Amino acid sequence: MKRRLWHIARLLLVFLAMNLIWYLLYLLLHHPILPSPGPVYRAMFELEGRDVALNVGYSLLRIFEGVVLALVIGLLIGLLMGRSPFWNRVLDPVVYLTYPIPKIALLPVVMLFFGLGETSKVLMITLILLFQIIISVRDGIKAIPESTYDVLTSIGATTAQKFWNVTLPGALSVILSTIRISLGTAISVLFFTEIYGTEHGMGFFIMDAWLRLDYSEMYAGILLFSFVGFVLFLLVDLLDHRFMKWRK
Amino acid sequence: MSSLESNGLQIKELQVAYHNGRQVLGNLNLVLPEFGIYTVIGPSGSGKSTLLRAIAGLLPGYGGKLHFNGKPLRDKNTRIGLVPQNYGLLPWKTVHDNIDIALKIARAGEGGKEARETQIAKWLTAMGIAGLAGRYPLSLSGGQQQRVAIARAFAIRPEILLLDEPFSALDAMTREGLQRLFLGNWQEQPATALFVTHDVEEAILLGQRIVVMPAGKTDAAEAPEILDNSAVFGLNYEDKRDSAAYTEQSRRIRRIMQEKWQ
Repeated sequence: MKRRLWHIARLLLVFLAMNLIWYLLYLLLHHPILPSPGPVYRAMFELEGRDVALNVGYSLLRIFEGVVLALVIGLLIGLLMGRSPFWNRVLDPVVYLTYPIPKIALLPVVMLFFGLGETSKVLMITLILLFQIIISVRDGIKAIPESTYDVLTSIGATTAQKFWNVTLPGALSVILSTIRISLGTAISVLFFTEIYGTEHGMGFFIMDAWLRLDYSEMYAGILLFSFVGFVLFLLVDLLDHRFMKWRK
Repeated sequence: MSSLESNGLQIKELQVAYHNGRQVLGNLNLVLPEFGIYTVIGPSGSGKSTLLRAIAGLLPGYGGKLHFNGKPLRDKNTRIGLVPQNYGLLPWKTVHDNIDIALKIARAGEGGKEARETQIAKWLTAMGIAGLAGRYPLSLSGGQQQRVAIARAFAIRPEILLLDEPFSALDAMTREGLQRLFLGNWQEQPATALFVTHDVEEAILLGQRIVVMPAGKTDAAEAPEILDNSAVFGLNYEDKRDSAAYTEQSRRIRRIMQEKWQ
């Protein structure tokens, strides 16, 4: 308990220090492109609640859809590669060759194929997460010792029962750490995709404020975007805490 | 109905080979009467673990016949309680949930949650680990984990109980306590049991009969030596070690080991 309080206190301290640096920069620069923290926070609290909720909601929905899609496909392919040496041999070179392609470079291709709408935004997030999830699921499943299945096999467990009770929980820790790492990239890419073809989302909100030269609101949007990212990280931590209790 | 002759676990001409064609078990014949407990000792490579894995249904292919009370084991209609050397607990499930999932799978469609809870509580108490129900395996000692594994094996009320060197990783004190606990519980709820060990002492302390496996040499399909151990088995656990029968049995096994395992 005491350690948790200390942890929160330290986070708050860092947050305050960052604001202080920001304020000092503002004093040094003394230019409208960098407003002081005060007006930015005021602008943030003056934002219309419904408007903010709509933009944040759209961004979260896209992230959620992208992550779920990547998880479903990644889990299936990773499972196939982890459990079957044949499919691992077939798919390994494919993953190996496509993994280093910077997925953001595929943005125009995705836009060409899937238009400027929701599909291409969600697909970009999926693309970024997918390969890392495939690789970590495969490695996570391979790392489960074969003997872990023995007792369940001997009492006649079905393939589905073995999947839910051994394979999935065994691979979960790597899946969670992969999501934690690639979530940051996914959020950045989301920003790019929200610049075009939409009137909702955090990326749109920030760029719109920028176009209107409303710098306080622009910074307020950036802060809000960062906050959403922070909450998502906390969520992954929470999942980690809930499902990884067994790892002492 | 099965005749008296086909009662228990029948192993006929069991043959197991590795992928590279090397035989691990060649033509093993063994009959284990229902509710009997046999210990199996053998040097490493003699195929004693392979024998257990074949009975447990963990080997994709083997030659020969494995029957229990007339039914082939391949049909998966025989309930098997397995206690592996590494305990075989799922680290992401609590002690309680480890037993629960085994019950759910092995006794699917029998009794509800309440019946399972009663069974779990009963066996955790019997193994002296009622207080550990909510703990995760990785936070337990080896001895505690093995108690959980044994509780799980008994809880599904198996027809065949298979133990693969269950106590070999434990220190002497813990091992002795668990041997006694295991034997006591087996007497409460007897199952046809095969107990693999590399410890001569343990083989004499726990088995009605002792199966001494021949050293695994590629060509020789030697039959295992089966020793009657009823003289020791009938004694109280505490008295076994000091008995003349124990000393005699120990001498016999060592002689066989010298002849066969050289």
